[in-house]
Amino acid sequence: MKMTWMTALLVSLGAVMSPLQAQEKPASVGVGVFTFTSGPAAAYGMPGKNAADLMIDQINKDGGIAGVPIKATFVDEGQGTEGVIAEYRRLASNAESQVMIAALSSSNCLALKPAVEQLKVPTVAWNCDAHQLLADGKSNYYFRPSGNTVSEFAAYALYLLQQKPDVKRVAMVNPDYAMGHDAAQIFSAALKAIRPDIEIVADLFPKLGTANFQTEISRLQSARPDVVFSALWGADLTNFVRQASPRGLFSRSQVILALGETVLQQKSLPEGVIVGVLGDGWWMSPDALAKPETKRFVDAYKARFGEYPVFPSMKMASAFSYMTEAYKKAMSDNGGKWPTRDELAKAMSSGKFETLTGTSTIREDNEGVVDQVIGMTVNSSEYDFPVIGNMVRYSGEALTPPQGSDPMQWVKSINADLLASLPKPGSYK
Amino acid sequence: MLGMIIPLVVDGLTNAALIFFVAVGLTLVFSVLRVLNVAHGSFYSIGAYIAASLCLWVVSAGLNPWLTFVALLASAVILAAALGPLVEATLIQWTFGKPESVQILATFGLFLILEDLQRIVFGVTSIAEDTPMLLLGVTSIGDMVYLNYQLLLILAAIVVVVALRMMLVKSRIGKLLSAVVFDREMALSVGINTKRLFLFAFTLGVFLAALGGALAAPTSGAAPGLGAETIVLAFAVAAIGGLGQIEGAALAAVIVGLARVFAIYFAPQLEAVAPYIVMLVVLLIRPYGLFGSDQARRI
Repeated sequence: MKMTWMTALLVSLGAVMSPLQAQEKPASVGVGVFTFTSGPAAAYGMPGKNAADLMIDQINKDGGIAGVPIKATFVDEGQGTEGVIAEYRRLASNAESQVMIAALSSSNCLALKPAVEQLKVPTVAWNCDAHQLLADGKSNYYFRPSGNTVSEFAAYALYLLQQKPDVKRVAMVNPDYAMGHDAAQIFSAALKAIRPDIEIVADLFPKLGTANFQTEISRLQSARPDVVFSALWGADLTNFVRQASPRGLFSRSQVILALGETVLQQKSLPEGVIVGVLGDGWWMSPDALAKPETKRFVDAYKARFGEYPVFPSMKMASAFSYMTEAYKKAMSDNGGKWPTRDELAKAMSSGKFETLTGTSTIREDNEGVVDQVIGMTVNSSEYDFPVIGNMVRYSGEALTPPQGSDPMQWVKSINADLLASLPKPGSYK
Repeated sequence: MLGMIIPLVVDGLTNAALIFFVAVGLTLVFSVLRVLNVAHGSFYSIGAYIAASLCLWVVSAGLNPWLTFVALLASAVILAAALGPLVEATLIQWTFGKPESVQILATFGLFLILEDLQRIVFGVTSIAEDTPMLLLGVTSIGDMVYLNYQLLLILAAIVVVVALRMMLVKSRIGKLLSAVVFDREMALSVGINTKRLFLFAFTLGVFLAALGGALAAPTSGAAPGLGAETIVLAFAVAAIGGLGQIEGAALAAVIVGLARVFAIYFAPQLEAVAPYIVMLVVLLIRPYGLFGSDQARRI
């Protein structure tokens, strides 16, 4: 009887323990996707949602993840940070939600981080680039496969110095929140690290959501800069370009629009504007064009939404690719069983994976190392909008601070040797 | 510094012009009806949406692009005609005689309804059509290049100030409005139709707010949240000028416009709060605003 009692106890314990080590395959993979679907930021957020819709349909059509379809719940970041956090907690408390793709806004990501670590839900920061997010190196559940502001904005400074080595006067206009201030700080620090004589003649921070930039444009004109750098985005960028263009800003100064690729199809940019994709997500890059899956994605995107994808779309697509690959890796590691949240997080925490436009390598601090593609607007004979030419592709390793280092100290340590070692504008073709 | 005077003045007046349109409507309504309309900013944003939509239609239909200017004015007229009498006859009249807290709550409720209606009708993304802005070209003043459209906004605001003052002083309806403002009970007792005057004043207030939104649309577009942002600023301007004072609203708009421009030029980190710092300083010195008074009232 004692043996029978002991056996029953062991069997019961095994039955209780087994869900902790492996799960039954769910009916669907619940994914919370956070982006802006309303307000001025929707101009940037909707391409992300469109890409998510497309990726989900494509993955499900191809059989889902190990036969399990993805089922997404979209959360509008336009409701404000408090609402975003509340929605995250609501979704995370539901066992059906297995992974989150959040968020677009750096402010929202930074606000979500405590909840992510507390609730232990693997979360992919698909767009928020603020380097502070993973700087402490202690995140177990927050992952960022698409890189951060340090390499992104330092890359613009380096491209500028290669393209316009005689630059002397620089003006900046960036949105007044985390990413905007980071952009200004990193860009100017990288410039001054190599050229301390460069003068910052204007440093403006209009409120996020500003509609009227006429005074800022006047201020920029009065400063007579050689270069104007801006990380404005969404409807702010659209309004800025619409208002600045007829006033001659683009003809009087070399303009750098860090997120300018998102407005190319609006046909409002002249030739010669330095633009990039905050990473390597340019769908017409040589690496992108070499991948059949990228062409399939781009053609499907255009057919469905009537426009070509922009880099937020490519970042969202990368997030889904990363998530899907992580599931495969987790199941390969645990003998083919459906992974728990912890197993998925472990699979996400390292490795190199393919995106539609290149690769991303995940470091121990959960940061993805990605290349930076930058170029200048050129008119195209094939498309009725300007495309990116005179491109360069900087390797991610060269422009990413070493793990554990102070990112801003690394930026300040950039020197002429690094600049000389980089490929030149026009070399990426 | 001298080289900056022109941009400071031009940008300040351009800023002031747009702020003035919405603030003068607010102060007019308060002066005549004694109602502080929280939903006033929504009329500005709906005016912007209607203007942008009509301009987009004009362009897409291949019509004469100069008709977009007609579309801007028509937007304000349409909105005033559609919403002015309706809102005044229903909600605003209902608030008469009730405590001010009820007025504010009721008009706040209207604001929330109008914000949601905008999202339903116009969608949740921004729209813009810059044809009016581009048609007028640019002007160089010194080293600066300005849109002629910006200069038009300044002219339009001046015309509105003068026209309003002329209406109040010279026209019969203006004199009746002034009588109602000065002493409503006496005006009633001598047979003045105050109901009709309230309707006129409220509709005119809606028109002015919608006109401001329509004129802003070619440069700034229309986007969700525009109404909320506008009403906060309009309140600040109306408070600085003195609630119920048209010239006060104009001067306050100029002061606030200049304050924002000075902040952008010399202290960018204060740009967002500059109008409210000005409001705080003015109200500490003159609690009823620059031209306001707790005694005799005039418009």
